[in-house]
Amino acid sequence: MEVDIRNRPSFANLMVQLEPGDRIIAEAGAMASMSSNVEISTRWSGGMSKAIVKRVFGSESLFVNEFSTSSPGHVVLTQPFPGDMVCTELTGNTLFLQPGAFIACEPGVTLGLGWAGLRSLIAREGLFRLKVSGHGRVWFGAYGAIFTREVQDEYIVDTGHLVAYEPTIAIRVGLVGGIFSSFFSGEGVITRVQGQGKIYMQSRSFSGLAAWTNTHLY
Amino acid sequence: MKHEMLCRPSATAVRFALDAGEGLTCEVGAMIAMSSALTVETTSRSRGGGGGMIKGLKRMFSGENFFLNHFTAHQPNQTLLIGPTMMGDCVHHPLRGGTLVVQGSSWLAATDEIEIDTTWQGFSSALFSGESMFWVKCSGVGELFLSSFGAIYPIRVDGEYTVDTGHIVAFEDTLRFQIGKASRSLIGSLLGGEGLVCKFQGQGLLYCQSHNPPSLGQLLGPKLKPA
Repeated sequence: MEVDIRNRPSFANLMVQLEPGDRIIAEAGAMASMSSNVEISTRWSGGMSKAIVKRVFGSESLFVNEFSTSSPGHVVLTQPFPGDMVCTELTGNTLFLQPGAFIACEPGVTLGLGWAGLRSLIAREGLFRLKVSGHGRVWFGAYGAIFTREVQDEYIVDTGHLVAYEPTIAIRVGLVGGIFSSFFSGEGVITRVQGQGKIYMQSRSFSGLAAWTNTHLY
Repeated sequence: MKHEMLCRPSATAVRFALDAGEGLTCEVGAMIAMSSALTVETTSRSRGGGGGMIKGLKRMFSGENFFLNHFTAHQPNQTLLIGPTMMGDCVHHPLRGGTLVVQGSSWLAATDEIEIDTTWQGFSSALFSGESMFWVKCSGVGELFLSSFGAIYPIRVDGEYTVDTGHIVAFEDTLRFQIGKASRSLIGSLLGGEGLVCKFQGQGLLYCQSHNPPSLGQLLGPKLKPA
């Protein structure tokens, strides 16, 4: 299965070339267009009960679509907002994705649910996070460009900018400075990522877009 | 007339070099900059074509503006720079006698020889395709420019092809589309978030957009303050 991330970084989308026997699992609603010989089957995202919990608490989709074909064809997968996408290959390891970041994965990848904690809720990152584990490629996207960092000890990310991180990373919520600078610096609540591992960040935040739009409405 | 696509696909603009007597018809508000020996004429009809008021009204139904702007060069080597309102892509489609059916808000500009009219794609497509009720029909021989929110990718359809609603930019009229369900079962189609899709049949060129304004709107809408 050949997957190409096209139109990076502003309008990234996936061109997935499917051969007979290939399968790709995608977020509900991610399909933009496809060859008519490609078949879609819809199933619960990580089992029924987990899917419901995810829907209620994590604002994730209840269902995922599996695309397969009996003759060569293609599927174009996309995300709702303009931005970049990345691919990472799991070899038995785990990655946590923020709500809305997941786009697609290979069948060897398990979609699970991870409790992110109340702290994460305060940081407006959601109560749950998507846990992808197993073997295979995972594609996820962001609003804006994506950049990575290998965290050694501690690193500070503004809320809404964290896209994905390894399970060795712990998330804590903090204020950027004192009460005064937290309120007036425009940074407010920040996320402290602690531990050793890789994190993925996005160069824009969707709540930032909403806030900006709100100030320009009349 | 020469043209050049700039800054694809995130903030695409088209730069034209016009010779004396050459002209271009653009969507209202598309002009970014131009040389001084170009004149602008705002009318409700395409150049040389009839219609007037009626065509203007029909265009309004297709999500376009009532008016069009005609740019005409009066001296050689004039520059005209145009672009769509939103960030996104533009494509050039050379029209050589066929007809291209364009989703209302995707029509950007056409050279003077192209006839622009509005067409109706049937009830089911009007209700369920996620596109405008009316479509812009471009025919003749000339150069056509389309725009979209997101990147535009061409698909040469031979047989059948499926496009999610809201992702169609334009298609040749040798193609027909019907509204259908995305997967075999209706339940699966609805639950899988794909819902209804447009199924194209025939042989011809189809332009799709990678992103879809309503999907962004669904995410952004709940975060906006009430009016």
